[in-house]
Amino acid sequence: MENNNKKSSAFYSYCLNPQTKFDTQEDGEKIYLLLRSHPFTQIGWILTSIAFIILLFVLNFIPQNIFNIGQIFVINLFFIAFIFSYIWFNILNWYFNVGIVTSKRIIDIDFYAVLYKEITNAQLGRIEDTTVKSGGYVESFFDYGSIFIQTAGTEANVEFLNVPHPSDAVQIINKLLSKKHGL
Amino acid sequence: MDFKDITFKVVLSLFAIFYYLYALVISKQVKIMNKTLQDEHNGLILFVTSLQVTVSLIILTVVILSIFII
Repeated sequence: MENNNKKSSAFYSYCLNPQTKFDTQEDGEKIYLLLRSHPFTQIGWILTSIAFIILLFVLNFIPQNIFNIGQIFVINLFFIAFIFSYIWFNILNWYFNVGIVTSKRIIDIDFYAVLYKEITNAQLGRIEDTTVKSGGYVESFFDYGSIFIQTAGTEANVEFLNVPHPSDAVQIINKLLSKKHGL
Repeated sequence: MDFKDITFKVVLSLFAIFYYLYALVISKQVKIMNKTLQDEHNGLILFVTSLQVTVSLIILTVVILSIFII
């Protein structure tokens, strides 16, 4: 696994052999790869935050006689707190939605809107097929895409959406599968 | 104090209370998330989340004080 040509990169969204632990980790279970959404996919909320900051400045330069100075101060305080919360909420949403490849299984940890938790496991021995989907100018340019891992029987399939270097990630998974199946 | 000032203060107080509750819920959830995924940045994440709770408490205090001062 150490010979993979991509090292940890893209703002902690593709981490090889990370110093990370997760709550259901078993003894002797080693994490080989940790994936998050590519930072470019976060551009929507980053631009929205910048727009909010610009709006705050613009509103302060418009002369108005509806509110007095004290009220304007409190409104500004609220606006700044709102922008900060919006940014922090999105950072948390990005940071804690991870895909983990270990020596025993593949885990998808999702926190929807920070409040709802969903953890999907796929044991390496139960994995039947891995698919990489990457297309379009932006995905090709920034080298990111989605990985779909199909499992046998009624076990839930695992999806890693918009992760960096998907081909390299699948290469690591395939190597682990070959090792598991003794090929 | 006219109707506009009273409305302003009521709306601000409600926002301040909801923002404080929101910050508390996020802080609780961050603790759960930190337990689920432990790495070297957990300390920083907890610090920023505590900062958010503190700021929300300061805002709540400022709003309560503004009811009597402004």
